[in-house]
Amino acid sequence: MAAIAPARLAALTRMRCEIFQTAYNPTSVRTGAKYLRARLRGPSMIQYYPDELSVARFNRMGGDFKIQDWDEYQRLSDVEEKKRRGKGAPKKAKSPAESRRQSRKR
Amino acid sequence: MPTARVLRDIKARHGVNANEILRRAYLYVARNQTLPPQVRFQAQLQLNTFGRYTRPTTVKNRCTATGKGRGIISEFGLSRYQFRLKALANELPGVHKASW
Repeated sequence: MAAIAPARLAALTRMRCEIFQTAYNPTSVRTGAKYLRARLRGPSMIQYYPDELSVARFNRMGGDFKIQDWDEYQRLSDVEEKKRRGKGAPKKAKSPAESRRQSRKR
Repeated sequence: MPTARVLRDIKARHGVNANEILRRAYLYVARNQTLPPQVRFQAQLQLNTFGRYTRPTTVKNRCTATGKGRGIISEFGLSRYQFRLKALANELPGVHKASW
């Protein structure tokens, strides 16, 4: 059997692309089509963690009924207590020099 | 209460979801060899302006029960120990301890 001429093979490929409506790209140039073809991954990504309802979130929903958040209350009162005893968080540094001084003190 | 790392991951997931279509469009232009190099370069520069939490590679599947980052069994979204605990408590349908 004689070898088929490359030109005829190319013509066949072009015709096949026409019939099946695919892109004719004999030199395999990168057209970036794969970035358009791929499915969007965002919608499934945001569903990974189950929705959790916390007390703070419930209170922020804007209903008339509010729940007392005891854990938050305890945390705030602990912070107040620490501040009263002078064990609170240090003041925020206003300048780079101040920041350096604070880190040296430690 | 989710850990800070889980909150960061949730932030990244929402950022990816919000910017995905625009990023894809820029990627298409930047990787398309049939377009003039100047246009492709401009698109690449635009891609570089996106923030850290808009890239899909910053998203990491963490344990949905504890927020642990390693040893996740992806089919269940749980770390290996949580998977064991839940499987032994019959909370995972179709999973039971092998015995032969």
